[in-house]
Amino acid sequence: MENKELLKQRVEELAGRVNGEVEEILGTLILKVQAPYVTETLTAVKSFDDVPCDFLHDLAGLDLVDHLEVVYQLTSLNGPQHLRVKAIVDRENPVVDSVTRIWQGADYLEREAYDMFGIQFKGHPNLKRIYMWDDFEGYPLRKDYETEPIEIRNLVRQRIDGE
Amino acid sequence: MSIDKTEELVLNMGPQHPSMHGLFRMIVHLEGETVTEIEPKIGYLHRGIEKLAESRTYTQFIPYTDRLDYLASPHNNWAYVQTVEKLMGVEIPERAEYLRVIFGELARIASHQVMIASTALDIAGWTAWGYAFRDRERILDMYEMTAGSRLTVNCMRIGGMSAEPPAEFWPALESFLDDTPEMLEEYYGIFFGNEIAQGRLKNVGIMPKELAENLSITGPVLRASGVQYDVRKAYPYSIYDRFDFDVPVRYGCDSYDRTIIRMDEIKESVKIIRQAIRDIPEGPIMAKVPKVIKPPVGEVYHRVENPKGELGFYIVSDGSTKPARVRIRPGTFVNLQMLPIVAKGWKIQDVVAIFATLDAVLGEVDK
Repeated sequence: MENKELLKQRVEELAGRVNGEVEEILGTLILKVQAPYVTETLTAVKSFDDVPCDFLHDLAGLDLVDHLEVVYQLTSLNGPQHLRVKAIVDRENPVVDSVTRIWQGADYLEREAYDMFGIQFKGHPNLKRIYMWDDFEGYPLRKDYETEPIEIRNLVRQRIDGE
Repeated sequence: MSIDKTEELVLNMGPQHPSMHGLFRMIVHLEGETVTEIEPKIGYLHRGIEKLAESRTYTQFIPYTDRLDYLASPHNNWAYVQTVEKLMGVEIPERAEYLRVIFGELARIASHQVMIASTALDIAGWTAWGYAFRDRERILDMYEMTAGSRLTVNCMRIGGMSAEPPAEFWPALESFLDDTPEMLEEYYGIFFGNEIAQGRLKNVGIMPKELAENLSITGPVLRASGVQYDVRKAYPYSIYDRFDFDVPVRYGCDSYDRTIIRMDEIKESVKIIRQAIRDIPEGPIMAKVPKVIKPPVGEVYHRVENPKGELGFYIVSDGSTKPARVRIRPGTFVNLQMLPIVAKGWKIQDVVAIFATLDAVLGEVDK
C-alpha cells in the first residue's frame, strides 16, 4: 500500500507540472495529458524517485470518437507499481512525439498504432504500416472505418466461383 | 589474395518458413554469409481480431482468443476471461481456479515442448522433434477428454470452466507427471547434450540484460538474460500466491539459455500441477453470472505470464453488451523486435537459430 501512496504522490506532483488530470479506475492510477507533454511526462515517470515506472509494457491507440488517445501501460521489473498514461491526440491532425528514444521497444507498438489509427509519431525511425500492406487505405480500428458488407463479399465470391 | 568488399546480397526468407512458426517473412541483407541488416515483414496472418471483438459480445469473443497463441490456447482464454471478470468484479469458485491453473500449466508444458521441438527442427535435428511431439500428444489427449478439441481448447468461460474433467482425466494427468523427469532426460540426451546443438546455440545471439529491458522483452526470453521477473510471482493473479515454486533464471543471454530455460520451466510447472492436484477442493465450477454479460462503464488492463511472454488485455467498456475496444498485447510481437538488433553480424544459419529461440507463433504476432 505504501508503494501506491508514494506513486500517487509523485503522479500528482507531476500532473501539476504538465497540466495533467489524475484519476483512478479499478485500482490503477491514470494520468491524462495533452499530446505535446508526452515526452516530458514519460521521461519524468521513468525516473520517479523510489517508484520508477521504467518498463513500457504496452502502447496502444484508442478511438473515443471526438478525439484519439495513445495509452501507455507502464510497470517496473523491480516493484509492484503500475501506471497508465494517456495522451490526448487530435483526431484531424493526430501527431504525437515518438517514445522510441526513451524505450527502444516502442518501435513496433508505435508502428501498429500508426497502422490501425493513423497516429503520426514524430521522430520514429521507421514509421511504416506493419500489419496491412503499404497501399492500404484507411485506418481499420477507427470507429468510422467502414468494413465491407458481407453481401458485397459474397457477390465477389459468387463471381469467382461462376467463372 | 584478399577481398576488400563483397557485394551485398539481398535474400528473401519466407513467407513460408520451413517449420511450424507460421507465415513469417524476413528480408536479409548479407555480406558474404554475414548478416548486415534484417527487415522482418509480418501481417500475413493478420485477421483483425481486435476489430472483430468490437462487433461481438463478450462471450462470443472467447473462441477468438484461442487463435492467438494456438499452441497454448487455454492460457489465452484465461487471460481474456480474467480481464472481463476483473472488470465486472466476479468472484469465481475455488475449484474452477484450481482447474484453470492445471490447464494453464499443462498448456505451458505443451508450448515449451513445441518450442524445444521446433528449435531442434530449425537447426536440422529431426529426431528430437519427434520425441517432444510424442509427449505433447498426451496433453492434447487430456484437453480432448475435457473440452472435446485438441488445439483450440476454448475450455474457460466468464465465471469459471466450461466442463468438469472426466474421471479418466486424473489418472492420465498423474501418469503424465510421473513420466516428465524421464522425458526431460530424453530431451537433454538427444538435443541439449548434443555437441552440434550446443555448437549451434551456445554464445550465439547475445542479448544483454539492459537491451532486453529497454526492448520491453518479457517471458522466458527476458529470464534467460538474467532478469528474475515473472508476473506469477511479481504480481500474482488467480491463485498463484498459494503455490510454492521458483522462477528459473539463466545468465548466459545466448540462444542456448533461451532454449534450455524452458526445460527448467517445465519442472516448475510440474511442481505447481502436483500442488494443485493435492489441494483442489470439491464444488461448483461456474460462478453465478448473468446470462447477458454487461460490464459497467470502465476500463481495465490485465496481464498474465503466457508461456512465450506476457499477454496483456486492455478492455474498454461503454456499458453495452459489446466491448468498445479490446487491445491485445501479444508477448512475441514485442519480443520479435530483438531479432534485427541481435542477429546483426551473425551468419545466415544463426539467424534461423535466433529466431527459433524466440518461440514466435505468428498467430499471436499477427493477431
